Order: sequence, then structure tokens, then C-alpha cells
Amino acid sequence: MLEAIIGLIAGMSSVFLAYYLAALGHAIVEKSGVLNLAIDGVFVLSVAVAYAQAVYTRNNLLISILTAMIVAAIFGMLLAFFVTKFPISHGATGLSMMFLGYGLASLVGLPARNIQGSIEGLEVGYTIDVHSPVWVIVYIAIILIGLGALFLINKTKIGAAIRAAGEDPAAAEALGVNVLMVRLFAGALGFALIGLGGAIFELSYVQVWSEGTGIGHGWLAFAVSLSAGRNPILLILSSSVFAGLVKYMTAIQAMYNIPQDLAKMLPFVAAILAMVIFMATPLRRRLAPPKSLGKIYFREEKERSEKYKKNCFVLDSSFFSEVDLS
Amino acid sequence: MATQPESSNTFFSSPSKETPIIKLEGITKSFPGVKALDNINLEIYRGTVHALLGENGAGKSTLVKILYGIYTPDKGQIYIDGKPVRIASPMDAIKLGIVMVSQSPVIIDRLTVEENIVLGLEKFNMFAPTRRVRSKIIEVSKTVGVKIDTTTEVWKLSYTQKQLVEIVRGLLLGARVLLLDEAITYLPLEEKSRFYKFIRQFANEGGTVIIITHKIPEAMDVADYITVLRRGKVVGTVPVKNTSIEEIRKMMFGEKSSEITYERLPPGNPGEVLLQIEDLWVKGDFGDYAVRGTSLKVRKGEVVGIAGVAGNGQKELIQAVMRLRHVDKGKIIFENVDITHKTTHFLRLNGVGYIPDLPAKYGVSIENTILENIAIVPTFSSEIINWKRIRALALKMIKEYEVKTPGPETPVKFLSGGNIMKVLVARELTAATKMLVAYNPTRALDEATAIKVRKIIKSKVINENIAALIASEDLDEIFQLSDTIVVMNSGKIVGVFPAEKAKREEVEHLMVM
Repeated sequence: MLEAIIGLIAGMSSVFLAYYLAALGHAIVEKSGVLNLAIDGVFVLSVAVAYAQAVYTRNNLLISILTAMIVAAIFGMLLAFFVTKFPISHGATGLSMMFLGYGLASLVGLPARNIQGSIEGLEVGYTIDVHSPVWVIVYIAIILIGLGALFLINKTKIGAAIRAAGEDPAAAEALGVNVLMVRLFAGALGFALIGLGGAIFELSYVQVWSEGTGIGHGWLAFAVSLSAGRNPILLILSSSVFAGLVKYMTAIQAMYNIPQDLAKMLPFVAAILAMVIFMATPLRRRLAPPKSLGKIYFREEKERSEKYKKNCFVLDSSFFSEVDLS
Repeated sequence: MATQPESSNTFFSSPSKETPIIKLEGITKSFPGVKALDNINLEIYRGTVHALLGENGAGKSTLVKILYGIYTPDKGQIYIDGKPVRIASPMDAIKLGIVMVSQSPVIIDRLTVEENIVLGLEKFNMFAPTRRVRSKIIEVSKTVGVKIDTTTEVWKLSYTQKQLVEIVRGLLLGARVLLLDEAITYLPLEEKSRFYKFIRQFANEGGTVIIITHKIPEAMDVADYITVLRRGKVVGTVPVKNTSIEEIRKMMFGEKSSEITYERLPPGNPGEVLLQIEDLWVKGDFGDYAVRGTSLKVRKGEVVGIAGVAGNGQKELIQAVMRLRHVDKGKIIFENVDITHKTTHFLRLNGVGYIPDLPAKYGVSIENTILENIAIVPTFSSEIINWKRIRALALKMIKEYEVKTPGPETPVKFLSGGNIMKVLVARELTAATKMLVAYNPTRALDEATAIKVRKIIKSKVINENIAALIASEDLDEIFQLSDTIVVMNSGKIVGVFPAEKAKREEVEHLMVM
């Protein structure tokens, strides 16, 4: 019995790691106030990039993973730049980048798959052997990454700056934070983690590629992150649940004889449940989303701000503590 | 701490001891339809405490905002240490050593004290652990004479503590000029005197403090010089030791100065209980209880004044009574009806008027006109609005309360802060046929108008036999207006006094205990 359970835990280590990293990255991006709807597209793109690089480099995992991370980080910085520098909708920008990601993924993946087809015996990826201690290392790594992220977000100046930018970018700016730089940093770091998650998902879990591989799994990471209130430690819990559900879906299906479509819904039902649970309890306040998440922040240029100030000239400090003029 | 400014510009002029640290020359600032500042000339010297005194709308807030880079002047020049400067943003001001502490602190609630402070300190690199700033904060806060737990999240702090955090932050940023924009007006006496001591010490060490206030005693207590502003112009600057309250009052209010009085208004005649609160528990914005088991009675013909330092649950209590906040436990009974789960709409239809805190945010819709802001209240109109009637009502209110506006069709955002307040007060006093609930009902009104509003409230209570529940951070107001004074501290009622027996020292002690 115990052995069986350990086997189950070991078996899901790669999916677990992939979800955890992507969800953690997503959490960091959103902590800075950038609503991340690009996640699924970028996840799918990282899957394709990691796959293609693995094919081109004859399964050089390190280079494949790094390439995926860099590509994702560039996307993250673009997203952060657009929504911070210009007064445009986070939602529209994120979704556009998602579709861009889907498209680029096909563009990158298809030629690589043709090449893989032409080379006999070329297989990509690395399977974690459940009988070797590698999976234990994966679990330890997850915990260390979680603690590291917790320290970065909660104990360092950059962490405070990220949260300040997410809570109230205008006040943060007044306190001396360069909101654009901070969001670029959070975007790069967060998306690099999403890219890493995508690469691990492809190379150690799926290991083949066809058009559309990975679609939906970015949204799952999104749900994982949301249902843990973007807390790096709670994320370990929620991503393990999701990883388990995804990995053993087929088994669960067979065991309880439930229709496939219903089974596929399970992770999302779990996400909704998790969110309902923490919204209905005092956790709601502790794990509340950043106050300015997804809100347009536009640091006006001189002329514009003059115009803006003129329009609300009457705003006495005593009345408009919330209206920011700087 | 306050550093001595370098005197490098010796080639053109030789800055002596007499060079003002701040000199304003012909500062003019207009907003559409109003000249907020008209040719302001002012010199402020190093090592002094300088008060800018004036009614609301006199232009003192605009002036400090110009000094802090929030507004830029249309005309005129600012000199710092004799050198012309351009202050385009708060960051520019901070670089010149000017730091503002405003009435509403600009800090981020969900961050801890040390996180808020470390964000602006350039000597800490981005990956530095925030705890490294801790010893510095503690060191500086000792000079201010306060203890701050730097790991507390800011939302848990009281209003006073938040302002202290801002001052400590200013000092850590190297402030040599502190702008205090009505920052100490609403502090209770004990905290105020501690603050005064710090201000004096800061000035003695070569720092400069500019205090913006509309309270004459406050300016007299702490300042060396007082500059009075009226309608955007400097009336005059006088040294405090050569002046009297009477003289300042005349400078401030002109012909109206005789109307200013802080005497207790005539008492009401309490009758039957109208509002009864029983063991009320209400949560604050961050999920902990802000009101902890409060019980209270308000009678017809009585003003119950809730005294307390901001952030002790008064806001939440008032909002719970107005049914704007969820009640976790306890009961609210109005006219023998349990309204604990009724709506605000119900109260409105039953003759309850409400003046909220931050009135421009919660009391009026600033994008809409005065007419629309009146019509929206269910007391005055049902689903179909009779605009003719509303218009007549609006004109009456504008006349009665001397609202300065081009007309009732003017969007509220084009009125000055004091006039927005007048619109709100006029509307709510008209709506209050049975009860008035208010939080700082005269905040941001000039003294003459504030006293007039208090008199109107009191006469309504006496003549129309309504009940009034009023929370205020201004103790003068509480004492002038109340029949019963209730002191609130940490969500609990810690003292109830009939107004004629209440002693100021005792009330203040209970407020900060």
C-alpha cells in the first residue's frame, strides 16, 4: 500500500514541478499588478520552443530549457511594458499575446517535428525514473524554490516594490519605486518560470509534440495560482492536487467509470472549489488579490498630467486621498 | 536629519544667514473659473516654524502642492537657498530636501512599515533584505520620540502612527523642510504636544517646518511666524510673539471674525430613544473586528458625539448604522424596528440623513451636477424625477448655505472642497427629518461656515426634535455640538459623559489610553 502511494507520488513529480513553476511565475507577475492572460499562449509557445530546440540540439536539455525560458521572459517583459507604459487594457493585451503565442508555437514546432520524423531514433526529453531518487530531489527542489520565492517576495526590497506596484502603483511611484522597472523585472522573472514550467512539461512529461500540445495547461497553472491566493507555499499544495488530477485522470476515469469529458472537468471543478473555500473563509483577506491587479496605470507625461490636474483642480487633499495627481 | 545646505552659488550672490531657504516670487495659479493663488510673495527662513493659516479655499493647500511638485505654477519663481528651481514632481521636491506629510498619508496599507520606508531609500539595493533598514528607522523614530514596530503592516496602525511613519520616512530621506498639510489638526492633545516638541527640536537643529492649518490656536502654539492667506492672496506675515488671536482672526476672516466662537451651543431636550445599538460587532476593511461589542442609545432631540482618534472603529460603527457595512453580531434598532438587516434605502425613506467621511468620494458623485446629486437621494425623488422641484430645492440650498457655484447645473467636480461639502451638508440636513448620522460633518469647511453648520444641526435637533449621531475627529466640534459625549477607543466605548459634565482632559485621556 505504502509502496503504491509512493509510486503515485513519484510518478507525478514532473507534472507537479511543471505546474508549480508556471503557477509560481504567474503569481509573481500578478503580484506586480499585471493581469496575466497571456499565460496559456506563452506556456504553449515554451512547450514548442523547448521541443524544437531539443530536436535541433539532439536533445540537449539545458539549452532547450534555457531557450524556452528566454523566449517566455521576453514575452513577459513585453506584456509588462505595454500595460505599464501605455493606458491600454491588461485583458486585451494579454489575450492578444496569448493568440500570438499559439501561432508562434505552430510556426516553431512544425518544422522541428518534420526534422524529428526524418531522423531515425531521435527522441527528446528525459523521463524521471520512479525507482531512482531523482523524484525526491524534484520534491526538495520545489520546497526550496517555494521558500526562496517567499523570501524574495516578502523579505526583500524588490519584493516589497513588486507588491507596492501591485497594490497602488501611483503611491508606489510617490514612495520612490520605478514601477516600470519593477514590473519588467517581475514580468521577466515570472515568465521565465512559466517558460521553465512549459519546457519541463514538454521534455519530462509529454515528450512528443503535435500542434496544440500544452493548450489549456497554462490556464490550469493560472487556476492553480489563483486557488492558492498567489502564495508560494500554498501553491505547493494546490499544484500537487492539480498535478495528481491531471496525471491520474485516466486512472480515475477507469476506476470510477466516469465519462472522459466529465473527468477532464475535474481539475477546473477543483479550482472553483478551492476559490470558493478561501473566499468564504477569513483566508479571503489574507490571500486577497493585489488591489490594482489589472487596473490601468499610466504615468502621465508632463502635458497630459497638467491637463488632468486642471480637470480636477478642486481635489483638496482632504477630500481626495485616493485621487492621485502625481 | 536636517543637513545644512551647501552654499555654492557665491559667484552671483553671497548667501548669508538671511537668505531664505524658500522664497516665492509672484506665484500665480489659476484653475478654470478661479484664481487659486494670486501673486504670492513669501520668504521662509531656515530654523523656523512657519504657519500658513487661512480658511478653506484660501489657497494654502494649492501653495504647498506647488512646493511639493504636485502642481506647477502658471507664473512666478521658486527659490531654494537663493537659487531658482523648478519643482516638477514630488521626487524633485524630495531631492531638494522638501518632504510633505499630508492629512491622508501616502503609504501602502498592505506593506509593513519598513517595506514602505525602504522603497524610497536609494542606498539599499533592490535585493537587500528589508530588515536592514530596521535599525535606521528605530534610530530616527527615537528622535521623533515614538516607538514604531517596523514589521507591522501599515493598515494596523492608527492615523497618528501612519503620519509618524511618513515623518520618519521624510527624515530618512534627508528632509530639511517638512510640509505638514493639516497633518496635526485632528490629533488629540497629548499626541499633539509630543509632536510640537519634535517640531521645535527639528527647527532648533536647523530644519524648517511649514505648517498648513485652519486652526488659529494650533498655529499660535507651535509657529514662529504666521502667514495668513485669504482668497489666494497673502494678507500678511506676523511673528507669533507680536500678535494676538484677535489680530490673526481679523486677518483670516475679515468682517466675519466676530462670528467665530467655540462656546457650547444650547442643549437639546432628549426625549424617547430613536436609535439603539446593542452589542454590535463589525469587521474593518482588513478582516479584524473594528467595532467590538458597542452599545449606544440616541434619543430624539439629542446630539450624541463620538470622540476618538481616527481609526478606532467610529467609521465602521457609522457605516454599520447606515447599513453600509455588514454586522457580524448585535442589533441596531431604529424607531422600534430592527434594521440590522435592512438596507440604506430603507433608512433614507425613513428620514435619515448621512454625511460620510471623504465626502467627495462617498457623499457625492463628482462627475454629476448639483441637481443630479440631489435627485439621486430617494428622500427627494422616486423613480420619476420631478426636475422642477429638485431645481427649486437646489436653489434654496445654494442660497441658504452660500454655495459658491455658477448654478445648480454645474458638475460638482468644479466646486472647491469646501463648497462640495456645503452641497452635501445642505442635502443631508434637508433629508434628515428624523435622524442625522455624520462623520466629520464640518471637515474642510472654513471656521465661519463650520460653526454655521453646527448651529444649523443643533437648531434642527432642538426645533425639529431629530436625533443626531455624529463622530468627529475634531474635539472642538464634539464639545460644541454634543449633548452626550461618547469616547471610542479600539472599537469599544470607553466613556459616556453628559456634555455639561465632560472634562476635556478626561476625554482626551480616554481617547489615547
